[in-house]
Amino acid sequence: MNDNPSPEQFQDPDVSTTELDEVIHANKDLYDKLNKLPEIEALEAITLEDEEKEDDREKSHLFLEALNNLKDLYTENDLVRYAAWAFVLILVSTSALTVTEYEMFKESVTGDVGETFVFGGDEPNWLDTYFHTFWWSIVTFTTVGYGDVSPETHLGKFLTIIIMLLNFGVVTLLGGAVASVLVAKRLTGDDTLDESKFNGHLVIAGWNSYVPSILKLIDANKDATDEVILVNETDRDIIQRVTTGYERLDIHHIPENFTHESVLRKAFLEKAGAFMILPDNSGLLPHEEPDEDKTVLTCLTAKSISESCNVIAHVLDSETVSHLQRANANEIVIPDEHVPHLLAKHVTDPGVPQFFDDLILQEEKDKGLQEVKIPRSLNGQSHNKISAFYKFKYNWLLVGYAIRKAGFSLDDQMGESGSPLIRSMIKEQLEGAGVNLTSDEHVVVEINPPDNYTIDEKHSALVLR
Amino acid sequence: MNPTPEQIQKINHFSKVPMDMCKKIASVVKIQECQPKDALLTEGDTGDTMVLVFQGQVEVSKNMMVKTASGLTTSRKPIIRLETTDPPPASDPITEPTVFVVEAPAFGIGEFSLVLDDAIRTAHVHATTSVKYGILTLEDFSNIVKENPAIGGSVYFEVAKSAVQNLATASADISNLTQAFFFALTR
Repeated sequence: MNDNPSPEQFQDPDVSTTELDEVIHANKDLYDKLNKLPEIEALEAITLEDEEKEDDREKSHLFLEALNNLKDLYTENDLVRYAAWAFVLILVSTSALTVTEYEMFKESVTGDVGETFVFGGDEPNWLDTYFHTFWWSIVTFTTVGYGDVSPETHLGKFLTIIIMLLNFGVVTLLGGAVASVLVAKRLTGDDTLDESKFNGHLVIAGWNSYVPSILKLIDANKDATDEVILVNETDRDIIQRVTTGYERLDIHHIPENFTHESVLRKAFLEKAGAFMILPDNSGLLPHEEPDEDKTVLTCLTAKSISESCNVIAHVLDSETVSHLQRANANEIVIPDEHVPHLLAKHVTDPGVPQFFDDLILQEEKDKGLQEVKIPRSLNGQSHNKISAFYKFKYNWLLVGYAIRKAGFSLDDQMGESGSPLIRSMIKEQLEGAGVNLTSDEHVVVEINPPDNYTIDEKHSALVLR
Repeated sequence: MNPTPEQIQKINHFSKVPMDMCKKIASVVKIQECQPKDALLTEGDTGDTMVLVFQGQVEVSKNMMVKTASGLTTSRKPIIRLETTDPPPASDPITEPTVFVVEAPAFGIGEFSLVLDDAIRTAHVHATTSVKYGILTLEDFSNIVKENPAIGGSVYFEVAKSAVQNLATASADISNLTQAFFFALTR
């Protein structure tokens, strides 16, 4: 058993603060007398001395800190460590040379300086000679080598060899350090973009052979944005080669991993007009397939940065589509989707695939299938009138409409029905689980509608020019 | 002390009951008083009494499963507050309302007990100010109705009306919950 009393037992719970005050008041005179005793003054003096010592300690503390910093620099930096030892060896060699080749260096000082010397007056003394030898060592070490004097004895020559060899290490390390700083800067792509330039711009994540064609088409359409940011880890030289020669486009490159939120933020994604995610071939061998999970992950990251971000994802594997739909991608492009149709049409409707190719691959400016805004004054008019307007005014063929459909809103759908408690609970719980209550606006098309089809401000025309 | 027949008639369910009948109802009800935080009805209990609130404010709440940082847990969520206007509560409520406050001259709660003899209380009701209330038991009310069948018609019409309203709200709630469920599943 433990016989030690617990801390609680030491405390007398019956003593109140007023009682303590009473005791102190009753003994006040005694306290005053005690305070006047010389011993107490002596005690106070001791505390003063302590403070002074504390000051000294603080000074030495600063000195120690500086020493520690130097020590850290020495242990962590190869260059500093090597330079320190090289300096020590040069000093040692210089001292030895001064001794072994004293006469020769003394004569050299006399020849160099003339008649008055800093330390020796009329005649150079050993300090003048030592300084001159040190100067000579540095001239030799840095490979400048004026060649005015050279050691004559074997020992002198041997010491000079040490000095000359030390140079290799310092030059190599110094060159390496400079190069590594430059390489690191290049790898991290440390150039930040000027945010004020970007609003409604296009961000393309990933790199593959489609990118140049995409850029070319966007460059050709003068209504499209001219600021493009490419985010991929493909070699900078390749990107630079491909991205030059555009008439309009101002293309920037962020050579980092686009699945990272911080990287996408560098591309000002929250202000982007469109965000295109492509299968990324960066760093892959020709037979390797790009990782489609990266596309889904990037879509999720982009939507977490800005829910309203217009994400256009390109996938090669149709299985990824459902994941992208769940990640709320606005548009999903599957390239092989059209292939069976095109093949079959070659048999059933010859000419249609060729027409399709012509239409899609038309890269000439102001030609082919285009989306154009309908003049506001035509809102509420029927399709046959709009069609006639484009035909007679521009000689364009109106083939259909792109309609911006507002997203579904659960909040609107619920309205005021049911009990407010349940409604607010639904909203609270869904928002808490990260489910957005509205789905994004998306585009649907209406091709060749009946003549009496009326258009509103959500419609834009698809015309063949 | 018994309430006055006028006090009884102020309650929505008895608004169509003639004054002499209200007098009979008043004679079987005793005015009591309770303090803020006192429970008037407890969710899940069975009861055959209707509570008539003459003065004060009460909060109706329900136990619900909610998601918190530590996981799913059941907590009591306020649904609505009811407050008398004639006379208004003697003091301000002890806590600020976080839900809608419905005002009425006076009101009855647990009215389904006038229909079912062991109705289960579907919500919890507690006082948020001091409350003056009376209790009408099913037995007393049934006796009055037996003697004066005319009362039954108007009172049960009001009870049926609130039951139908509850049903409509419940069906809208089910519709909202179903939509939310599908919405959450497809995201």
